[in-house]
Amino acid sequence: MDLLDLAIYVLPPYVVATLAFGVAYRLSRYLFLWKRGYSAPRRARPIGKLLVGLVVTFLDPLVQAAKKRKSDFVGGLIALHILGVIPLIFLLSQHVAMFSYWIPLYSLLKPFAIPSSITSASQYFFANVLPASEMGWVFTNSVWGPLTLILNGDLLAILAIIGVSYKLGDKLVRLYHRLRHVRAGDFFDLALLLSILVTGFLATHHLPSPDVTTYRFMLGLHILLAELLVALLPFTKFWHFVFGYWYGKLHEWYELKFNRGSL
Amino acid sequence: MSWEGYNYEDVRRAAEETTSHLTPVSLHFLENCVSCALCEVNCPYTPVGEEYGPVSKAEPLRNIYRGKVNILPRLFPWLFGAKLPKTKEELDKWVDLAYHCTNCGLCYITCPFGIHSGEMIKTLRGFLAKTGRIPSLLKLMVDAETSGMFAENPGFRGLWEDVIRKTLEVANVEFDRKGAKYLYMPSLAEAMITPGAIPATARILSKLGLNWTMPRNPLSIRAPIGSLAGDDESVRVVAKRIYDYIKSIGAEYVVFSDGGYPYTFFRFDLPRIVGEEPSFKVVHVVELLVDALREGKVKFKQTQERITWHSPCKMGRFGGLIEEPVEVLSSISQNFVKLKSHGLFSKCCGGGGSIACIVPPTQEFMEKVMGIPLKVSENEKAFLDKLYRDMLIAGREKVQEIKESGASTVVTACIGCIHTLGFTTRAYDVKVTLKTLAEVVAEALD
Repeated sequence: MDLLDLAIYVLPPYVVATLAFGVAYRLSRYLFLWKRGYSAPRRARPIGKLLVGLVVTFLDPLVQAAKKRKSDFVGGLIALHILGVIPLIFLLSQHVAMFSYWIPLYSLLKPFAIPSSITSASQYFFANVLPASEMGWVFTNSVWGPLTLILNGDLLAILAIIGVSYKLGDKLVRLYHRLRHVRAGDFFDLALLLSILVTGFLATHHLPSPDVTTYRFMLGLHILLAELLVALLPFTKFWHFVFGYWYGKLHEWYELKFNRGSL
Repeated sequence: MSWEGYNYEDVRRAAEETTSHLTPVSLHFLENCVSCALCEVNCPYTPVGEEYGPVSKAEPLRNIYRGKVNILPRLFPWLFGAKLPKTKEELDKWVDLAYHCTNCGLCYITCPFGIHSGEMIKTLRGFLAKTGRIPSLLKLMVDAETSGMFAENPGFRGLWEDVIRKTLEVANVEFDRKGAKYLYMPSLAEAMITPGAIPATARILSKLGLNWTMPRNPLSIRAPIGSLAGDDESVRVVAKRIYDYIKSIGAEYVVFSDGGYPYTFFRFDLPRIVGEEPSFKVVHVVELLVDALREGKVKFKQTQERITWHSPCKMGRFGGLIEEPVEVLSSISQNFVKLKSHGLFSKCCGGGGSIACIVPPTQEFMEKVMGIPLKVSENEKAFLDKLYRDMLIAGREKVQEIKESGASTVVTACIGCIHTLGFTTRAYDVKVTLKTLAEVVAEALD
């Protein structure tokens, strides 16, 4: 059994079990710590304003970053999150195919799948022919149309690699300035993310050499590292996009806007 | 324990106590920070140095938390940033960080994850207090307020009596009157910093024709001052004392003119601390004025003076009273102008969270008032001198906004803001008159 077989056929149940345990552990702590307290009557505000306030609560940090820290806005938010990691993880054609295999309902997202390479995207756009495929579903047949020239795995992976590298550089500069909040876990998480992106890119392009053994090793390594990330989700800062972000902003809205009326 | 002391056993015990009261919200604050440091962009103290960004100032509390609560950081503390201060110098550095935060909450709404670093830094102050590290003047005031001894100080007494005399000149007050519908709660700090606000508020309440009273004697220095030092026990004692007084009057409404932390404390925090749903509502005087204006019960003399409003963080961001003061002031001055950062993101004055109350010029003022010389060590003096310089840097952006507004009068409702803006506008040579909302309204009453 090689690395690819191990990653695809052996490890997934263990990864899911670790993830489930971690999620249960993290969430249960919140539940066990909760107890009803006494609170002041809330300040009444119109429901429409409160709903607008809810959206604004999620937008405010983005606006502040765009205004006051452009490097983070471009590198951290646009390159890493919005154009990089999020569409890559959830909409890259290969990932949609894989998730659909495990979770059948995920196949609903097939029309939104993003082609993996610039070549297949440009074929679709310029040649107006569908690439030959024996599969029932053609990767490039997405709703994105000409946008696939930009929305393709190659470009998004490069943007994500730039984004992660920017964050790594930012951490190194902060470490050099002896800022207290920089810690070993930051580097581990970012290095893991970078490794996943680079191995995925190499596997897609059959690099560093085109032989099958190297390809299977690189793809196996890519999947293995991704599985490591999934297993570690609840125990690392990656938990932020599963829980922390949503809970934090909702709580902030509830406390400041719903309860205290600060609109 | 003293400012100079260091005892590892005290530090360890303080860490145990600090991590013994977790809630889902504090757990979120402690665990879900990704160290993106976006909070830095709006913190008034980041211009002093990146080390004073909220994410870095809150990190010591996370250092404590990880080592006490999580399993892996207990086993591998060096890998997870789990540590306690090992030396006096390290503890001093933590004090320096904790007292470079006004808890204004700008970091809270800027954070992509809704993490309130200021609240964590307040908890960190509690940890430091347990190790003996509270600035001497703050400690003196906390102790005096908790014991009730402040009311016996001749200097304090003189200031209070002076304000009472001026209040009686403008309003016919029957003090401590049981059964009054409205209970006005001024503090001794108002008598010290904004003495005009108390008679002005009394005049407003009388003009509105309300059935009101106020305490004959001050119930606190500023209510409860222990919350600024993270001294939970002192907060409980003082809050309970005032709560019992309010209940003894039986008022339906408790009115504040100080829009600093006393207003939000009594409105939002008191129920949790006393463990009861209060039978009264807490309001700021501006809420009464807005209602009266909308109902046509009050009219103001108009002025052409260019005035502006500095929104105190506790009254605006944390109290929900952002546009109400604007409505009142706009009906007084046709030249009312908003500051650049008006609204939820109103920039902090730079001196909240007790900072302006402990810097050397305030200490000199307090020594004169109390008639008690306060001895501080060389180490603490150096810390306070630096804190004063840094406070002026932290307040620079707000002063710049005031200058750009072209206003000749800056109105606010927090005595801490008035006190701080006094320092910062002088330091940057911006000549404006600082007034409380109550004073401006009282002057404009028909």
